[in-house]
Order: sequence, then structure tokens, then C-alpha cells
Amino acid sequence: MEPAVLQASDWGFIFANWQTIALGVVVTVLLTATSLTLGFALGFPSGAIEVYGEGWLAEAVSTAGVLLRGTPIVVLIVLFYFALPIPQLGSLPVVGVKVDAFVAATLALGLRSAAYQAQVFRGSIQSIGEGQLEAARSVGMTKLQAIQHVVFPQAVRRSLPGFQNEFTIVLKDTSVAFAIGLAELLTRAERLYLQPGRDTAVIEVIIAISAIYFVLTFTTNRTLDYIYSRYAIPGGNS
Amino acid sequence: MSLLRVDSVDKSYGDEPVLHDVSFGMDRQQVEVIVGPSGSGKSTLLRCVNRLTEIDSGEIYLDDEEIHGVDENELRRRVGMVFQDFNLFAHLTARGNITLGLREVLGLSKAEADAKADDYLDRVGLADQADSYPAELSGGQQQRVGIARALAMDPELILFDEPTSALDPELIGEVLTVMKDLAEEGMTMLCVTHEMGFARSAADTITFLDDGEIVERGPPEQLFENPEHERTGTFLGELTGLHQ
Ligand SMILES: Nc1ncnc2c1ncn2[C@@H]1O[C@H](COP(=O)(O)OP(=O)(O)O)[C@@H](O)[C@H]1O
Ligand SMILES: [Mg+2]
Repeated sequence: MEPAVLQASDWGFIFANWQTIALGVVVTVLLTATSLTLGFALGFPSGAIEVYGEGWLAEAVSTAGVLLRGTPIVVLIVLFYFALPIPQLGSLPVVGVKVDAFVAATLALGLRSAAYQAQVFRGSIQSIGEGQLEAARSVGMTKLQAIQHVVFPQAVRRSLPGFQNEFTIVLKDTSVAFAIGLAELLTRAERLYLQPGRDTAVIEVIIAISAIYFVLTFTTNRTLDYIYSRYAIPGGNS
Repeated sequence: MSLLRVDSVDKSYGDEPVLHDVSFGMDRQQVEVIVGPSGSGKSTLLRCVNRLTEIDSGEIYLDDEEIHGVDENELRRRVGMVFQDFNLFAHLTARGNITLGLREVLGLSKAEADAKADDYLDRVGLADQADSYPAELSGGQQQRVGIARALAMDPELILFDEPTSALDPELIGEVLTVMKDLAEEGMTMLCVTHEMGFARSAADTITFLDDGEIVERGPPEQLFENPEHERTGTFLGELTGLHQ
């Protein structure tokens, strides 16, 4: 077989199947968004608990983090899908992925992301001087108010560079959801060249989806860069 | 009736004693200056009064109410604090630094809080810097915002912990001027400071703290001209020499 790179007919095949790929992109983007949101919602409080908390709660958060960071993501996804009693809820409209698989993948990617985001936030929170919290408390704010209004806005700003990494990792790791039959971008693309007689299109398909992952990563990181500078504290260096 | 009464307070960090049997009282509208060598427990004493630090034994009364029976947030609303390092909220403008407490603690509306903040910024001479962020202000300006932030909460007492120690010499004056104005307006102030000019002119009482104990306490003339203890004279003499 001659090296089948960049055959016009294979590119034509990809374009003919653009809908399949587009649906894959939608699933990948959706899964990335739900996972990162869950990761943020749990990651920030966990980071704060690791800094300010004490007793069993801080202990539990820190142990959960170690377990989640130490387990391969494939194992987490398969485990959550088969071990958690997630009810079968039919399929998502349009993209046609099973809701229970999507939920399991979101939980696995989201909880693991929370464990990493907690580390990012913990570092940012610790980098904010104790004096900020004390000043807030000295006007009569509760510890929770002080964290919400003084620590959180500053810590989130300082976390953005770390969050960019985390976004890229989660985006790429959504591909692991193939393990529970969730057809995101990579899975759908692979199905294309696995069709009889289409093995000549392997490289073209891989190039095409690599380009899509690159565009997703690039535009999001640029957007985050913009947000970072847009919300930078005037005159500050963070 | 005294506004603040500190009664036989002891405080240790681990097994290192920091305050020992400290007692004194302050009336309303009084200015009390605390001096003492570094590490003598001055900051700790102030922090015990607004419970950023908890005492081991003794009692502290504000308005004849023991402060450990008062909600700590309510106590801190009533006792303002100005820090050596300013501790302005770095992500908020000068105005925002003041309105945060007004809105979250006192529950003022945005319009009320903004108006009040601008009023207090005006009082410390910073009406034109309301929209500046801390990093855009000089140290002296930051500290004046810090004072306005404390004042705006309508405290009964303000604690100052070396408010000018972190400032370049040429910026100290503007902060001391604000503090003197406050003293004249009748604000009750408990100040740790080594600015002897301020102590002489504004203080009703000076307390010399050494090694966690009050060595001597009295009106400025007495401590400067006629100290009972040699240590007091030596320490104040060194300070005065240093700062003139
Ligand atoms: N949070 C703390 N933990 C342990 N030791 C402390 C703490 N804060 C202050 N100290 C110690 O208590 C003593 C008095 O400190 P401080 O009140 O800050 O003195 P000053 O303000 O007079 O310089 C010092 O020896 C200091 O090291
Ligand atoms: Mg001190």
C-alpha cells in the first residue's frame, strides 16, 4: 500500500462526514465544560478547606485529593460508570449520547479536575497575605465573608494560569470517555476510518481532529489570556 | 466610666509568655500611646482587644461589657484597626476598600456606601483617589485609606499598630496629620507608635511596655521629663534622639 497521506479522496470523505465530526466536537466541548464547572465548584472550596480548615473535613478533602490524583482517569471513568447507581436516563437530544455515560464521565473528569484545581487554588490562596483576611475580619466580616469577598476574587485571578493547564488537560482527557462508549470527538472520528475500505483515511482523520483540538485549545487559552489581562488588578503584579 | 478596661491580661504563645498581668483603662475621647521595644508584646496587646488574638486569662471590657461575651464580629465592628502594612484589599479601589465593610457588615445600599466612602476619603484628603487601586497609591495614601476604612465603620475605638513604621520618612507626616485631626475631633485612639512628636502633642497617656509588662504609664510630660523608672527614660531618650 502506498503512503496514503493527503489523498484527495480521503479528505473528501472527511468533509462528507463533517456532521459526525461536528457532533463529536459538541460532545467534547460539552463534556469539557461540565467537567471543568464541577471541578471549579468543588475545587475552590476544597483548596480553601485545605488552607483554612482543620479536623476531619480537611483530612477528608486532602485524602480524596490524593486518591483522585493518583488514579488513572480511565479507571475512574469505568469505575464511576459501572459502580455508581446512575439511573438510565435515555439519550441527550441531537448528539445522541447516553445520559448516564455522560454523567459518569462528567463525575470522573470533574472530580479529578477538582482534585487538581484544589491544588492550584490552595497555592493561590496561600500566596495571599494573611493580612488581607485579618483586615477583612477587623471590620467585622465573618471568616466566610472574608474568604468570599477578599480571598476568592484575588485567588481566582492568580489561579488563571494554572487553570489554563487544567483546561487543556481536561479537554484532551475527554477522549478517554470512549471506554464507556461515549462517542466524543476522537471516538467518532475513529469510527470513520474503521469503516470497511476507509483505512486509507487514518492519517487524514487524525490530522483533521488534531487541528480541531488545537483550535479549541488555542482559542480558549487566548480567551483566558484576555480575561486574565482584562481583570488584572491595576498597578499590581498579579 | 471607661470605654476600654484591660484587666490582668496574660497571654503566651506556646510556653513563651508575651503579656503578663497587663491592666489599664481608657476613657472616651482619649488618646493612648503605647511604646516599647520590638517584641515587647505591643501588637499582641492590640490584637487581644479586637480578638484577632485570644487572651489566656484576665478580662477586657468595652463599655463595661466583657468582650468575650460579645459576638466577635460585632466587637470588631465597634473596634477599628489600622495596620502597619496597611492591608488594603488589593483587588478593590480606595472606595471599594471602604464600601465592602459598609455593605457586608452594616448592610448599607450601594449608593449609601459609596456616598459614605467618598465622604471619608475626603476627610483623609483623598477625594480625588477614590477610583485608584492600592498598588497605584503611595504608602502614605494607602495608610490614609486604611484609616478611612476603619473610621467609616463608626467605631467606638480605633487601634493603630505602628501605622507609620512601613512608610518612607517623607510620607509619615501626612498620616500623622490625619491622626492628629482625629484626636482633636475626639476619636478614642489606642496607638502603638514610636513617633514621639505625635505622642507628645496628641497623647493623653503614654504606656511603656517592656517584656510583656507595663513598666510605667502616665501623661507625656511625666514620662518624658520625669520618668519613675530608668528604663523608661533610656528608651524614650533613644527614641527621641532617633526621630529628631
Ligand atoms: N502568632 C504568633 N505566634 C507565636 N509567637 C508570636 C506570634 N505573634 C507574636 N509572637 C511573639 O510574641 C512576642 C511579642 O510579639 P509582638 O506582640 O508582635 O511584639 P511587638 O509588636 O511589641 O513587636 C514576640 O516574641 C513574638 O515573636
Ligand atoms: Mg508589633
